[in-house]
Amino acid sequence: MSSLSSSTHCRSYSSSACPASSSCNYGHHRTAISSISLKQLLPRKVSVQSNTKARPNVVPIKDGAVAATVASIENETPSNKLGDGLLSITLPEEFKDTASFDINKDKSTVSITVVGASGDLAKKKIFPALFALYYEDCLPEHFTIFGYARSKMTDAELRNMISRTLTCRIDKRENCDEKMDQFLNRCFYHSGQYDSQNNFAELDKKLKEHEGGRISNRLFYLSIPPNIFTAAVRCASLSASSANGWTRVIVEKPFGRDSESSAALTDALKQYLEEDQIFRIDHYLGKELVENLSVLRFSNLIFEPLWSRQYIRSVQLIFSEDFGTEGRGGYFDNYGIIRDIMQNHLLQILALFAMETPVSLDAEDIRNEKVKVLRSMRPLQLEDVIIGQYKSHTKGGVSYPGYTDDKTVPKDSLTPTFAAAALFIDNARWDGVPFLMKAGKALHNKRAEIRVQFRHVPGNLYNRNFGTDLDQATNELVIRVQPDEAIYLKINNKVPGLGMRLDRSNLNLLYAARYSKEIPDAYERLLLDAVEGERRLFIRSDELDAAWALFTPVLKELEEKAIIPEYYPYGSRGPVGAHYLAARHNVRWCDLGLEQ
Amino acid sequence: MAIQFSPCSSSSLKHEINVYTTFIILPSRTCSSKWVCQIPSRTHPRKRFVLKPSNGHYLNAASLQDGLAENHVSKGNSNPLMAERSNPFSESGKTESSLSITVVGASGDLAKKKIFPALFALFYEDCLPENFTVFGYARTKMTDEELRNMISQTLTCRIDKRENCDDKMDRFLKRCFYHSGQYDSGEHFAELDCKLKEKEEGRLSKRLFYLSIPPNIFVDVVRCASTRASSKNGWTRVIVEKPFGRDSESSGELTRCLKQYLAEDQIFRIDHYLGKELVENLSVLRFSNLVFEPLWSRDYIRNVQFIFSEDFGTEGRGGYFDNYGIIRDIMQNHLLQILALFAMETPVSLDAEDIRNEKVKVLRSMRPLQLENVVVGQYKGHSKSGKTYPAYTDDPTVPKNSLTPTFAAAALFIDNARWDGVPFLMKAGKALHTKRAEIRVQFRHVPGNLFKRNFGTDLDKATNELVLRVQPDEAIYLKINNKVPGLGMRLDRSDLNLLYRARYLREIPDAYERLLLDAIEGERRLFIRSDELDAAWALFTPLLKELEEKKIAPELYPYGSRGPVGSHYLAAKHNVRWGDLSGEDS
Repeated sequence: MSSLSSSTHCRSYSSSACPASSSCNYGHHRTAISSISLKQLLPRKVSVQSNTKARPNVVPIKDGAVAATVASIENETPSNKLGDGLLSITLPEEFKDTASFDINKDKSTVSITVVGASGDLAKKKIFPALFALYYEDCLPEHFTIFGYARSKMTDAELRNMISRTLTCRIDKRENCDEKMDQFLNRCFYHSGQYDSQNNFAELDKKLKEHEGGRISNRLFYLSIPPNIFTAAVRCASLSASSANGWTRVIVEKPFGRDSESSAALTDALKQYLEEDQIFRIDHYLGKELVENLSVLRFSNLIFEPLWSRQYIRSVQLIFSEDFGTEGRGGYFDNYGIIRDIMQNHLLQILALFAMETPVSLDAEDIRNEKVKVLRSMRPLQLEDVIIGQYKSHTKGGVSYPGYTDDKTVPKDSLTPTFAAAALFIDNARWDGVPFLMKAGKALHNKRAEIRVQFRHVPGNLYNRNFGTDLDQATNELVIRVQPDEAIYLKINNKVPGLGMRLDRSNLNLLYAARYSKEIPDAYERLLLDAVEGERRLFIRSDELDAAWALFTPVLKELEEKAIIPEYYPYGSRGPVGAHYLAARHNVRWCDLGLEQ
Repeated sequence: MAIQFSPCSSSSLKHEINVYTTFIILPSRTCSSKWVCQIPSRTHPRKRFVLKPSNGHYLNAASLQDGLAENHVSKGNSNPLMAERSNPFSESGKTESSLSITVVGASGDLAKKKIFPALFALFYEDCLPENFTVFGYARTKMTDEELRNMISQTLTCRIDKRENCDDKMDRFLKRCFYHSGQYDSGEHFAELDCKLKEKEEGRLSKRLFYLSIPPNIFVDVVRCASTRASSKNGWTRVIVEKPFGRDSESSGELTRCLKQYLAEDQIFRIDHYLGKELVENLSVLRFSNLVFEPLWSRDYIRNVQFIFSEDFGTEGRGGYFDNYGIIRDIMQNHLLQILALFAMETPVSLDAEDIRNEKVKVLRSMRPLQLENVVVGQYKGHSKSGKTYPAYTDDPTVPKNSLTPTFAAAALFIDNARWDGVPFLMKAGKALHTKRAEIRVQFRHVPGNLFKRNFGTDLDKATNELVLRVQPDEAIYLKINNKVPGLGMRLDRSDLNLLYRARYLREIPDAYERLLLDAIEGERRLFIRSDELDAAWALFTPLLKELEEKKIAPELYPYGSRGPVGSHYLAAKHNVRWGDLSGEDS
């Protein structure tokens, strides 16, 4: 493998082949310490030096991708700035020790408080992601994890709860149990009401204890229902903010349910927080292949010339789940698939896909371009939307329930569990190119992918080989986000043999075949970014506004007119209406072709 | 089990069977290779189409439903020879025709190793007409039986061991005959003519002569065959192989001589590289995919490389080679032909004349090769782990002081709007470290690359590259930059690839099969027209003369090495880098 690599401080270890040997670990901690703690306090050079020896496999190319402008203002991560030259400096052992000693005095610490620690997301995603980061030596040396929730629980009970979901991902490497114990020792629990400043003040006290006078950086992860977002933010901000470091809050969808409620939420949050303290997660942006989308586009010559209406006929963003709400429809029924998947995940991917080349890879530059795309888009029209809802289905003796069979869903619910939509970007690059989205629950497979359908070859010399349907012969670029991450380009090719028979085959890259490492969960990436102050993958409030502006009118119309969804059997390919929607725009869903 | 339908059969019953099976088969692409290979074989559909234009069951049409099938070239109808051929059929179906293939020089190496096996493979695949005869012609005295015995030693049932293999082999051998004669004897060819007539039994006679003989007797044979053994009522075609002269003059002379006896459209100049699967696929890739054509110009392509290497030397057969050298043996024909196909403008159609017109245009737009853009080399002896490999001049058939290049690298330029300034690098050599033939298209670097910091200062490291590996292990891959999965942002060059072996289980037919079949069918797309040949020689002749006149000493390189380092300096002079020696590829 030739790697043209760069690395963002400790990340380089996780993404490269650093063995988890103890010396390496030691080095990692140091790396992390310096990157978090030194900030403005120590000359950069010192931090670099303290790192130098411990970064055996950092390829000496300055990181271009992750260094963010904002980060450099507010929270410099010094190792981001490691230059080629500096890396070659190796200090004598004694001097290095001195340096470390100096650092110890001024160490900073990060406290991560998971608000809503007993919830499902916290158990299944957040704590495991935090452990994985710890396991990969990506967390600073001094960190504390606090669970906060209403239930009464001891630290030991929390640890017990967390430990059940922890696994050593990637492979069973040495020190796994040991690492797990070390991690759990950093986990604590505080029970309190979400709207009680007093309870948060108690938390603050405990946090201070653990911080031990170091510079305190605090990250709150709000894993709670949206109606108590504001209350929790108020209390955390007023009673548990960091006095000398930073305080950041991660919030997850739903960010309201339309333009108004979203704006109200933003206003409320901004009473207590600055924009740059709010980290709105869209975990799809943390997916490996979504990250890779920009790399593909901007670091290869061969794609960018094709990236426009001149060559692309349609773009399809497809999300499907092979299960229904399964007794958890209460939350979903209030939102529906459009709000749950389309308005955020798929729209975000679309914006990344369609944006103009940003000035740099800095968070603000990228988000500026994304907002431009969203603002160039036509608000979604009712006639460009198909909604569906799954009904029960019996197959092979097994009965699958309908959506309204879910006890947590009203019997007469019209909430869509499936939607297909055609969106348009009215700018010079994309005028007239339909961006089709499709998202659904209880379909026949589980999949998320981006499909770029190219136009047919004008004046194709081989027309006869394809018959009249030129669609059969178009190229297609597929980025499969999950499962089985892959990129492939469908090309026409001659079937080997005498004669001239053409055939569609794939130029492909299967991640599983090329990269043996397990791909980190999206939450790991995003948590790490939040700790580092990297905002590239988080949603800015103007992006959120623009996104809602596209969907709010149609959502209102659907609800006001009480549009009845098209029913489709559990486990099917979804309502056929989706095909008619595609046909109206002269395209074809390529995920349902025979070739799939 | 095979329904034995012969392409030339006029039986409507058989015809319908064929149509029927076609319909059954098409929906499934994973059908047995037997059927897959029958449907596409261009003989059937096209001949049927020609055969009974009014029957309503166009195989073409049937095949189209699958989105796969038939051939562009059915336009061949407009070609006079094809029309001539098809007329007797369409009249009534009464007149049958007979094909005779005479391999002149039947006892030679090429005949044994390539031509007879290719003919058998075509027979095995039911690509030959029902009435056909194979004649071996050479000076050696031999009986039919001895010839058959000789042929049978090299026959194998390719693809896989299917049923009827032995049976097929026997039937094939029964069609093989031998005639002994001198190459310059009209009499002997007249005798051959008698024998051919016997086998033809009054059917319409089509005769194909394959000249598998040294170039100095080309003209004699053509004279004799043409005057004494031509078909009276069908066609006569002659396949010739390189060398077509050794410079513009001798090539022009050869062409003039041949044309005394043959019309241009009777001469089939083989360049077997054009029959290679991936070379055939080159045009398909370019013209049937939207994603490549927009990139196919100086705007996006920085350079193109044509690489040929063999991992063995002349091994005692240097006599012929020493008179020609690697430039004439590989570059001026094989690599240049591929270059022309690669660089040509979109032809009006896929008809032979349209394609060859475009190829000639490319050749004529090219700058004649300059001495300073050429590096020549010759391998020297080398000992490695106890084994000694001989130098070129150690070959007893090679003069001790030979300066003949066994390696050459060259930079060529096409001075047209599409390719101005793009170096086309060629490299060909014997006794190198690998055996390989490939086309590498190196793209420019991304202008204003956002990820440039990830690549450091060497932007070339991060360029895309499209590689068509012609042999071995046919493959197409596109090198792209990709994020290494994981936290952080590390980029990596990985391949979007298509390995033929993984996708297509069938063995790929030998280039000779394709070319023989084309010659039988009068498909000239893959053969070299005389004006192409002239243009090709015009590019290389001045340089070849200069090399010889100035007695340029080749750079010596060890047997089994990567060739002379001079080729790197040549590439560097044009600001590019050989893609095959970058260390990424094995």
